[in-house]
Amino acid sequence: MTNDYLLLTIFLAVAVVFPLIPLAMAWAWARLFSPAKPGHDKQSAYECGIESTGPARVQFQSHYYLYALVFLVFDVETVFLLPFAAAFLDLPVSAFLSLMVFLFLLAEGLVWAWAKGILAWK
Amino acid sequence: MMNEVVQVLVPQAILVLTALVVLGLGVSVPKARKPITAATLFGGFLAAGSGLLFPLNGSFLHGMVAVDPLSRMFQLVILALALVAVVYAGDTFPERHFAESLALILFGAVGMMLLCATDDLLMIFLALELTSIPLYVLAAFQKSGRSSAEAGLKYFLIGSVSAAFLLYGFSLIYGVSGTTHLAEIARFSGPADPLLLAGIALSLGGLAFKVAAVPFQLWAPDVYEGAPTAAAALIASGSKVAGIFLLAKLLATGLAPWAGSPVFPGWSLLLGVVAAASIVLGNIAALVQSNVKRLLAYSAIAHAGYLLLGLASGQPASFVAVLFYVVVYATTTAGAFGVVIVVEREHGGSRVDDFNGLARSSPVLAICLLVFLASLAGIPPLAGFIGKFFLFSSALGNPGILWLVVLALAANAISLYYYLIVLKHVFVVPGPDGVPTRSSASRTVVAVLALAVLVLGFFPNLLLSPLERAAHPPAVPAQTP
Repeated sequence: MTNDYLLLTIFLAVAVVFPLIPLAMAWAWARLFSPAKPGHDKQSAYECGIESTGPARVQFQSHYYLYALVFLVFDVETVFLLPFAAAFLDLPVSAFLSLMVFLFLLAEGLVWAWAKGILAWK
Repeated sequence: MMNEVVQVLVPQAILVLTALVVLGLGVSVPKARKPITAATLFGGFLAAGSGLLFPLNGSFLHGMVAVDPLSRMFQLVILALALVAVVYAGDTFPERHFAESLALILFGAVGMMLLCATDDLLMIFLALELTSIPLYVLAAFQKSGRSSAEAGLKYFLIGSVSAAFLLYGFSLIYGVSGTTHLAEIARFSGPADPLLLAGIALSLGGLAFKVAAVPFQLWAPDVYEGAPTAAAALIASGSKVAGIFLLAKLLATGLAPWAGSPVFPGWSLLLGVVAAASIVLGNIAALVQSNVKRLLAYSAIAHAGYLLLGLASGQPASFVAVLFYVVVYATTTAGAFGVVIVVEREHGGSRVDDFNGLARSSPVLAICLLVFLASLAGIPPLAGFIGKFFLFSSALGNPGILWLVVLALAANAISLYYYLIVLKHVFVVPGPDGVPTRSSASRTVVAVLALAVLVLGFFPNLLLSPLERAAHPPAVPAQTP
């Protein structure tokens, strides 16, 4: 018990120290040997994406999440229907009835969303 | 077995079906507010009737569903409070999505009723979420209004943080005791593991949110003020009853072995400190409020303190007193919110100034408000006085709680001041002339609730003796063939 935790502690210490060594070496190298010469090209975001244009604070339609929610209806339905279908012949009548209740709830949710006009793209 | 579970859950099933029908009505005939309300009320009464007709008790599915006479009583109380909120909704919620608001009230009621009828930590958490999520939506229902959106967001954020507290606490309790069933947790009663105590403290923190006790009280004033008033009434009454009932059950059955003693800290001390802080903060902060809804919120915080005081004493008698008082408090505060709804409709606001001259324009309403506020302040012939009397006198069975009772009595004297300020505006300050009064269903409900507060004040045994019988069943239960 104690040995297990000791091992873990050593592991933790090594895990912390091990990445610190190369970082310290890189930092020391930068301090000692490479003078700082910042320039336009040097600071550009090459190979790490393109230069950003315009501000990041733009408004976007959050309408899409409603579709995602309605999609969830079908998604959850499938998750439960698949094992139900696979074991269908061995199931009692009550299981069939409970699944029908579940499907009814999901279906009513979809019909309600549809009738409320949520599915119409604005 | 399965059949019995279905029978026990018939009231909840009827409520869910009603909610689905109401949603359907909202889509097909969105303008018909009155029929939709009538359908909701009909479903509610049907559920109450079925609960009374099939009083099947017992524990099913390993305690996931557990109904006894006490939880059945509280289910009916919660159902009644939800139906009061449904009537109020007719006078507060906007035309748009009206049916959805009623369906949400019903879903919330189902959650609260399930909360009363389970012995299992997991099911408690699920039912708590089923209660909270409809209430978050109801609080934010007038989403175009700033204050309602703010109320909804605050309620949601603090609620989800406290749900995380609760779940973490439950997981620690499960981790130490190895079971999620309350009675088995109590039977475990091993050495008071620090991990277990941490679990208990975290769970109590999560539930403190539900009853608006001090470290988690911040949401209450903003939600009570910003949410549509019918939603606030449900949050203040039904949700409070469910929360206190759950706390009492959790402490009395599941966590009873860790109540603590003067030499060893347990949940008793923790609850005592929370109660003291709630009583002091609630009563002091209420003194400077100029909005009646905010005032009721701070009064709710103070009352959460009184109720936790009863639970902290750990006496069997005070558990009954707490349950009695929470029903009285919920009835009273639901009525007070009803008065606020009518005043908002007719005078255009809920500031104290809007209550000016209410006694002149609608005297019955003013007298009802007098009954409610005097009951909240604990003035003798009313139910609030009897409730506080039982609560404090039974709590004194534990002598260690004396300091808290003294503090509560002193704070209660302070509370009289701010309740009387409101009554001064109602009865003494002259109001604007020619305010049209409109008859509404809320007025009737308010009168009924005021009558209930009066009756319970004069005949407390109407509620107290059934509660006692349900909480402490006789040793040899009467056998019926």
